[in-house]
Amino acid sequence: MAAVFASLKWRLVTSRLRVLPPRKRLLMLLGLGVLALLLIGFGLLLAQLRTLPEAGLLVVTGLFSTQLVAWILTPLIAFGVDETVDPGRFAMLPIRPQQLQRGLLISSLVGYLPVANLIVLVGAAIGVSYRSWMIPLALVCAAVQLVTCVVFSRAAATSMAALMSSRRGRDLGMLVGFGVIVLYMLTSLTLGSGDSSGIGAGAVAITEALAWGPPGSLASLPALIATGQWSRAAVAVVVAALFLGAGWWWWSAALRRRLTSGESETTGSAPSRGLGNADAVAGTVSGTAQVIAGRDLTLMWRDPMRRMPWLLSLLMAIGWPLLVFRGAGAVYGCALGALLIGTQAANMYGYEGSGLWMHLVTFADRARARGEVIGHALSVVIPGVPVIVVSTVTVAAVRDDWANLPGALGVGIAAVGGAVAVGCYLSAVVPYAMPQSRKSIFASSVAGQKGITVRATLGTMLGAIVTALPAVAFAALALLVAPGWGWAALGVGLLLPPLLLTFATRLTAERYLESAPEILAVVSAGDRV
Amino acid sequence: MSGEQPPSNHPSGPAQPARAALPGYPAASPLDAATGAQALALRGLTKRFGEKIAVDAIDLDVPAGSFFGLVGPNGAGKTTTLSMVTGLLRPDGGRAFVAGVDVWADPVTAKTRMGVLPDGLRLFERLSGAELLSYLGRLRGIPAEVVRERAASLLDVLDLAEAGNKLVADYSTGMRKKITLAAALLHSPPLLLLDEPLEAVDPISARAIRGVLTRYCESGGTVIFSSHVMALVEELCTHVAVMAAGRIVASGELAVVRGSAKSLDDAFFHLIGGRERETEGLAWLRSSQA
Repeated sequence: MAAVFASLKWRLVTSRLRVLPPRKRLLMLLGLGVLALLLIGFGLLLAQLRTLPEAGLLVVTGLFSTQLVAWILTPLIAFGVDETVDPGRFAMLPIRPQQLQRGLLISSLVGYLPVANLIVLVGAAIGVSYRSWMIPLALVCAAVQLVTCVVFSRAAATSMAALMSSRRGRDLGMLVGFGVIVLYMLTSLTLGSGDSSGIGAGAVAITEALAWGPPGSLASLPALIATGQWSRAAVAVVVAALFLGAGWWWWSAALRRRLTSGESETTGSAPSRGLGNADAVAGTVSGTAQVIAGRDLTLMWRDPMRRMPWLLSLLMAIGWPLLVFRGAGAVYGCALGALLIGTQAANMYGYEGSGLWMHLVTFADRARARGEVIGHALSVVIPGVPVIVVSTVTVAAVRDDWANLPGALGVGIAAVGGAVAVGCYLSAVVPYAMPQSRKSIFASSVAGQKGITVRATLGTMLGAIVTALPAVAFAALALLVAPGWGWAALGVGLLLPPLLLTFATRLTAERYLESAPEILAVVSAGDRV
Repeated sequence: MSGEQPPSNHPSGPAQPARAALPGYPAASPLDAATGAQALALRGLTKRFGEKIAVDAIDLDVPAGSFFGLVGPNGAGKTTTLSMVTGLLRPDGGRAFVAGVDVWADPVTAKTRMGVLPDGLRLFERLSGAELLSYLGRLRGIPAEVVRERAASLLDVLDLAEAGNKLVADYSTGMRKKITLAAALLHSPPLLLLDEPLEAVDPISARAIRGVLTRYCESGGTVIFSSHVMALVEELCTHVAVMAAGRIVASGELAVVRGSAKSLDDAFFHLIGGRERETEGLAWLRSSQA
């Protein structure tokens, strides 16, 4: 049975290559070759650590622990990367759970990712073996580490397979993905700031604690035996073995549950509390804009697909400038967040997916089409501009950078407005489908539309930068010539966006009325993903 | 009709909207008046996807007040036809009139006169059923208070009152069809266009939907619906059109289309040129395990 699973996985892996035209296949093989060389280089670098026993142990302990966490989290963040992740696909086959579990373990060890991990692990094993006789033992520990990673990854994926079949589970997955990004940012910032001796001491303390954990035990076992610390070595063996056993049991239990129980459901969703602007009525431009903006603002917090980009933008607008930029001119760091907030107006029709048909059959007049665009734009501008103002003022206060405040505000508001205007227009000119399955925070384009997705995204960013240039020019004068120019930047930042939005919303509405069925055809492709 | 055919220069699949590719439709013509008596009139309606002609210059008249069934095998062109009539898919040629109003020349008026239930398209999933009705009603320009009253009665009749505050994302197939039907009825249009309204719907929901549609027809509305289920069409419809390979092969009153056949199912099978398959090759098929 194990051989069947291994050959099945091998076919899955190689069939991706086989279906490619010869030129692309060659390119892909070359790419894989380069990747393998890079990994081997990294492995050799790790192997060099054997000349520095203490540092080697620290690095490998950290590496093993990070590797395990990465393996466990990957299926939650990027569910669906492996076609064999969902054991529900095997539910109808006459296989016993134990057989299935062993088969899945074997098939999990076949693939690019396990091979890449293996190369790094071999390097790490040599790295912790400062005497040659330790190498075989370290290699066994590395192999056990790989199996532990696979077992826990599978157990987590199996437990979550049921969860991910419900709407709330998928929402949770996106939230965890966001949490990982925040954690990564905070960790890299913490390690990147402060004095280096502090980091060194902190890293050592953390790694020493990790050495008692299961991956750490495997990393340090050869060294413990080499130095004759037999009792510690025995504890390390027990910890690693118990952990692997627990993982195996968890996987087995999850597998049984998954194979014998149905999909989870989200029957008891919390009652909704109604839409914003619930008394507004369309007909006029402003009435339609109110109806649309009311719905958009409600969905912004209710729909994870809309909420996640907003959370990321808020993080970049508020957290990022405070943590990263220091000294005079730090306030200008808020402009990046402003740009990101503004781009939330991009691909407005794509967000609706095939649900856009409801707008198509409801109205076809100029006033409502324009009101729709303005409503979408307002739902970004109304929360976006205050956020940028608060963020810029906060950074100015914290960094005592008041002189640059007017200029930074001008650039920030111009960036929000410019991005919204360009984003609106490109929504109708270059619409693209958004994957509607919400299985991963990172799913951004659908098959066959990668080109237009990139074009629309880059176009919005570049267009936004161009529209913000007048304000940027005055801000540059404020920095280089006299701070007074900052007020000119603020003036431009306040005047230009309304003008741009007026034009952009009109052009967008016209384009939408001319090509609504074609836009629907493009964005409906998101349903299939 | 050939003189009125707009240019057929559209891409076959989803592609970038192209300004130059838009066909120019005549604003008004004697046809408008001639088709005014019909709830729906199609003249030479055509759609191609690449080489394949999905709908092949069809003509169809749907009398006002009729319960009209559009039947045909998979790929016959039913959904493509309904999509072109409802403004969701641009035709390559021909015209569609709703009570004399050209759907593509005067979409603003046409869209006030029809309610639509398409098949296989999403709803605004993160709104509750009640919110969806409120949103779409107000988007049509109906005062909020009137929308609330109508939505409440529709939710009640369609047995969705309890689920009204749940998100559409958590609705079953039957509930989705019902809430879409409620949205289609909200502005009390004279014409309903329904694509497979009872497909994959549980019997209780199907009964509720049929009840509402029958009532709607009795009060003067026209229903056009596509279906695979001949028994259902035979039970509900006054008129029927049979589509095959992009063409209308028969249309008219149900009794006329059925002719001397035992049932509509038999008539349909004969009309589309179906062939009985031999099953002798399955002699090995038994209930015992091999």
